[in-house]
Amino acid sequence: MTIEVLDPTFEEGAVEFALAARPADLRGATVGIVSNGKHNTRPFFEALGAELQTRYGVSAVDIVVKPNYSAPAGPEIFEQARDWQALVAGVGD
Amino acid sequence: MTADTLRARRVQLDDVTEVQEYFHSRGWTDGLPVVPPTPAAVDACLEWAGLAAEHLVGVEPVRQRAITAEKVAINAVMAGCLPMHMPVVVTAVTAMLSEPFLLHGATASTGGSAVLLIVNGPIRNEVGMDSGFNALGSSDRATTCVGRAVRLVLGNLLEVRPGEIDRSTLGHPGKLSYCIAEDDEGSPWESLAAERLGDPYVSAVTAMAALSPRQIMNEWTTRPEEILDTFVAEMRANQRDYSIWAGNYAFVMAPQLRQPFADHGWSRADIRRYVFERARIRRGEWADVGKANVVGRDPDREYPALDSEDDLLIVAAGGPAGGFGAVIPPWLGPKSRAVTVPVGACVDC
Repeated sequence: MTIEVLDPTFEEGAVEFALAARPADLRGATVGIVSNGKHNTRPFFEALGAELQTRYGVSAVDIVVKPNYSAPAGPEIFEQARDWQALVAGVGD
Repeated sequence: MTADTLRARRVQLDDVTEVQEYFHSRGWTDGLPVVPPTPAAVDACLEWAGLAAEHLVGVEPVRQRAITAEKVAINAVMAGCLPMHMPVVVTAVTAMLSEPFLLHGATASTGGSAVLLIVNGPIRNEVGMDSGFNALGSSDRATTCVGRAVRLVLGNLLEVRPGEIDRSTLGHPGKLSYCIAEDDEGSPWESLAAERLGDPYVSAVTAMAALSPRQIMNEWTTRPEEILDTFVAEMRANQRDYSIWAGNYAFVMAPQLRQPFADHGWSRADIRRYVFERARIRRGEWADVGKANVVGRDPDREYPALDSEDDLLIVAAGGPAGGFGAVIPPWLGPKSRAVTVPVGACVDC
């Protein structure tokens, strides 16, 4: 005699996320960097922005900081992202 | 309602022993044995709560996960819940999924918090919750199983498992089960839920992202101020040692510590006011606990443990003898807010 049990895990309708297409070239691009807001992201992302400009020819870097590092980015950041050709969403601690 | 309406994938296994190994090997448990979630047992939970299998308990805001009553019931059965526990479990999950609770952050953080559940109202007695001896431990079946059910829901429906979504550096024992029923009848005050919802007859669950309890003892005074000074000292220690930021704190007060407040006519508001004014530290105190490197240029800047008096949750619970209490600190400040939801409330009705 067997016992029938039910699967306790999430099974249905998971929201699928896909990676955005990779840009072939960053020259002349505006790149956004979204920091989670942790203290040490500031020097790291400032250095990253400088590298993007000197090494890859990025024309502008916008660093924005989430007001709450534990919550998703708000609509204002999504709106700002419309002006970016590439985006780095970085977690720092 | 019949088991035919259940949508979850079904698995045929040889016996209960195979169920344990099948579930353990897939990471579906907390390491302890589970009750096999048979269609009949799950159906009984839904039947008791009056919920359809596909009823939407809530949606996890960050990952947009829709949590159905059927899946909650499956995990409740696994945790050892009886059908009559199901309304409490559903209410707890509803509270966790509300936006102010910030469930994803609270469960993913390295900070190591768990979900503390505080149950009030007549339903505590109906389901056999005990507010006395060993409160916050395994005081009774109902609180243990309800608290465990919430953990299994987090693990199985949101992958809040160690090393997956849960990135806690250190956990604490409350991550197995963290549920307490308030001693509404033995308290000199209105219940926590009555205070927060404005209804003296309400059954409700309060969820709070919380660290482990820090136990205190003061059996050498009957002055309310001195008793609260001991609680406040523990809050300040938490500010120095763990997180300086303000947030929801909970006090658990056993009867022996509550009596002086009743004798002197102190209300919850009186307690909160006293604590709010005193539970605060200067940034410079970090230097006393090995954190001099982050004191910075403003050592006299003051940090309150509470942003407002209302952020203190006072819970009457504990065995009849002993001047014990507990301070339960928040997970890293004010990002997650304690949420109180009435049992039986329908968010979409």
